Amino acid sequence: MEIKAHVISCGEASGEAVVYRGPFSFLGDLDPMTGTVSVPRHPLQGISLVGKVFVFTTGKGSSGGDAAAWRAKQNGKMPAGIICLESEPILSGALIVTETPAVDQPEKDVFELIKTGDYVRIDANRGIIELAID
Amino acid sequence: MSMILNDEEKGMLAGDYGAGKQKAIELLIRLGNSFGAEKLSPVSYAHVSYDSCPEDFWDLLTTDVQQTPHTVTTHPSFQPELWRKWGLPVKDETVGEHRRKVKTIEQLGWIRTETCAEYLIGIIPQLGDIVSMAGSCMQVANNSLFGAKVERMGTLVSMAAAICGRTPLMGLLLPENRYASYLVELNDLNMSQWSICHYQCLGYYIGSQVPGFKPVAVAGLPYDLPFDFARALIISMPTSGAITLAHLVGITPEAHTIESTFGHKKPEQVIRVGKNEMGTTWEKLNTWHNDIVENVTFGCPHANVEDIGRIAARLEGKKIKTSLIIGASSFIATAARNRGYTDTIEKAGGHIASVCPAIWNPFTRRDIAGEKQAKSVATNSARAAHYLATVSGVSVFFGTEEDCVNAALTGRWKGVMQKWK
Repeated sequence: MEIKAHVISCGEASGEAVVYRGPFSFLGDLDPMTGTVSVPRHPLQGISLVGKVFVFTTGKGSSGGDAAAWRAKQNGKMPAGIICLESEPILSGALIVTETPAVDQPEKDVFELIKTGDYVRIDANRGIIELAID
Repeated sequence: MSMILNDEEKGMLAGDYGAGKQKAIELLIRLGNSFGAEKLSPVSYAHVSYDSCPEDFWDLLTTDVQQTPHTVTTHPSFQPELWRKWGLPVKDETVGEHRRKVKTIEQLGWIRTETCAEYLIGIIPQLGDIVSMAGSCMQVANNSLFGAKVERMGTLVSMAAAICGRTPLMGLLLPENRYASYLVELNDLNMSQWSICHYQCLGYYIGSQVPGFKPVAVAGLPYDLPFDFARALIISMPTSGAITLAHLVGITPEAHTIESTFGHKKPEQVIRVGKNEMGTTWEKLNTWHNDIVENVTFGCPHANVEDIGRIAARLEGKKIKTSLIIGASSFIATAARNRGYTDTIEKAGGHIASVCPAIWNPFTRRDIAGEKQAKSVATNSARAAHYLATVSGVSVFFGTEEDCVNAALTGRWKGVMQKWK
């Protein structure tokens, strides 16, 4: 199945999905040394996002989000690609500056169609999400 | 690249003004394009966060850049040499990186205000001014309290904006996007005894309830709400969420009436806050396991002279058992010293510093304090509580200024969980 989406940051990515129905900040939520979610009591606490296609709702939090993403990128600890419902400028800036393939505003309900562990491909040159289902 | 550029901007993109401006404008154009911006807008002034900017990115953007024609000011900064005097084992590389960046700032002619609360030292944008800023707390304060036009942007993007003196014309810079879409109603909350931490708690809850960065309007606040309570409420919102413009109806410049704040449309959604919501949020901010307190943190947002004076009065002639830090600009710290407050706090064992005490607290960050890291911290700021728990990974006590000072004096938390009945 192909889902159309809006391009945030160009490129192509594929990998196992991690799905979280909530907002996310690279500063505070992601440990830039390990690429795992570091928040106490967070539903994803301890889960690695490295090389994954991370699906969530939107960005949040401090302007340090793009600097934190940059540090994670230098350490090779960024997600492979990003799908979110509706991005915001700090999140988009973080994805553009780290050249992480990313799309938002998908035309279908990605939380219904994508589950954690599914294989997902993003073509963020054309704005397409590809799923291994019909 | 679909954005319309003027000749100077085309020159920047072509590399005529050097590699730094070329890289910076590329980034602004990519961001603008992803949000459908038609063009770039000049900024009245720009604000950057240099110590939190990775040095390789900093070097990339400042390459070939001479002095900027527009004013640039700075966000809370490190004072690594001072921290060493406090006994913290600051690494040589931290000192070196800070010194190198300061040298560049001086060459660029930028002004080191080193604060997230420039409005306390008289640097206030005019109503309608377009400014670019690092710091979600600066963005939301200048948008909401003074009616400047500030878009939400990251530290690296705001560095690019400062280098070029441009920001993509999008989002909150456009008048039609500044109307509130979410309405916050306060239900049966008796605010007569509220202090800074209560307003911070309220803002933290509101931030968590609004998806994305839609402007909100808070109704039902007293029209004579003190400025310090207004800023406490507003700056905690972009911690739990992404709110970058919060109108306080009857108080802030773009919120004369509920109707005008919403552009005479109906609110998209109404968020009701009562005692239940306040109680749950208060508990969530408290992540502690036992009552031992090792650090006490004030000044998020950066303190004013009155805040420091109240804390000094509570510490007069006493000795504290924890480390204690108050975030404040050097200008405010000097004013506090002239009144004798700073000496009182230092004699008691506390410190005033221009660092961000939430995200870069030198006592709680393991990458700064090493073995001397404080593992538990008390604060009256919800924003600080959030980042101390997540970025520093320490256990947090959230309560009133009085509870926090008592914790500093005894090394134990006796702050009572507020009864929200």
